[in-house]
Amino acid sequence: MKESLMDILCDPLDKSELELEVDERDGDEILEGRLIGTVTGEVYPIEDGIPNLLPPDMRD
Amino acid sequence: MSDDTQTGTTADDRDPEATRQLVRERYAGIASSDQGCCSDVGLDVAGDSGCCDDDSQSESERLGYDADDIASVADGADLGLGCGNPKAFAAMTPGETVLDLGSGAGFDCFLAAQEVGADGHVIGVDMTLEMISKARENVAKNDSRNVEFRLGEITHLPVADETVDVVISNCVVNLEPEKQRVFDDAYRVLKPGGHVAISDVVQTAPFPDDVAMDPGSLTGCVAGASTIGKLEKMLDRAGFEAVEIAPKDESTEFISDWEADRDLGEYLVSATIEARKSTLDD
Repeated sequence: MKESLMDILCDPLDKSELELEVDERDGDEILEGRLIGTVTGEVYPIEDGIPNLLPPDMRD
Repeated sequence: MSDDTQTGTTADDRDPEATRQLVRERYAGIASSDQGCCSDVGLDVAGDSGCCDDDSQSESERLGYDADDIASVADGADLGLGCGNPKAFAAMTPGETVLDLGSGAGFDCFLAAQEVGADGHVIGVDMTLEMISKARENVAKNDSRNVEFRLGEITHLPVADETVDVVISNCVVNLEPEKQRVFDDAYRVLKPGGHVAISDVVQTAPFPDDVAMDPGSLTGCVAGASTIGKLEKMLDRAGFEAVEIAPKDESTEFISDWEADRDLGEYLVSATIEARKSTLDD
């Protein structure tokens, strides 16, 4: 996912902002890391460039 | 017919989470195998060329894509799972931000990306990891730097308020048991003056019990379809104006081919669903 598109993202649970933590990037592209709900504290993993923003009860 | 243990439950009565799980399982399977149309039986499929094998081009044309659309996207994105062509009526313009609900392997996103250009953005949301992974592979094949995919749910969009110009979707909303929440969330993410352009099946006559209670029929874009009247009410309740749902009579032709042993065209038609968010803030 592109870091420049962070503004459009939000926490799917309460629509609040997300904070980005990056483990691996390729320029603007975030490959591994996580998005953390600034209000809910929920952690949404970014794996292989794909942010998993499914509500927690929808994750496998 | 499916032998799923939930046979005997109609689409309306089934638990929403259980329904989503059925839908995810079906589409994960399709993404992994490159097989299956948006129907229970579908047409014969094989290979990597998408849903309908060597016939996929004409099949996509029946859905409303023109030959240029099909040729402009690299193979692998068009799984033939749609029931229309949102691009044809979405009136997307350069620089816009487009959101695709249930983006699958990404075909409609890549078409939208051509419309909005390098200054625009297209975001595809899908709840099936296998579809999102496939879509991401297709980003590389299409060199579409303005397209992004996110694993997410269309009733819980991970998209900030008032950031989107156009919401598109193709044969997906029918699969979602809580459609009101889909329209509510679409309304939330749209900018004032933004609009939705959705292709989906709508119900034209009550389903016989064997269709209504068949989970395969639900996940195959049949039993979950709502009537035009119900959809209009939901869009209205979400706050939309200029709601227009137009059935495409010619679609009964391909819908009738979805199943070999019954004519689904008696109960279903593909429609264009359009609505606008007021330019004035609430």
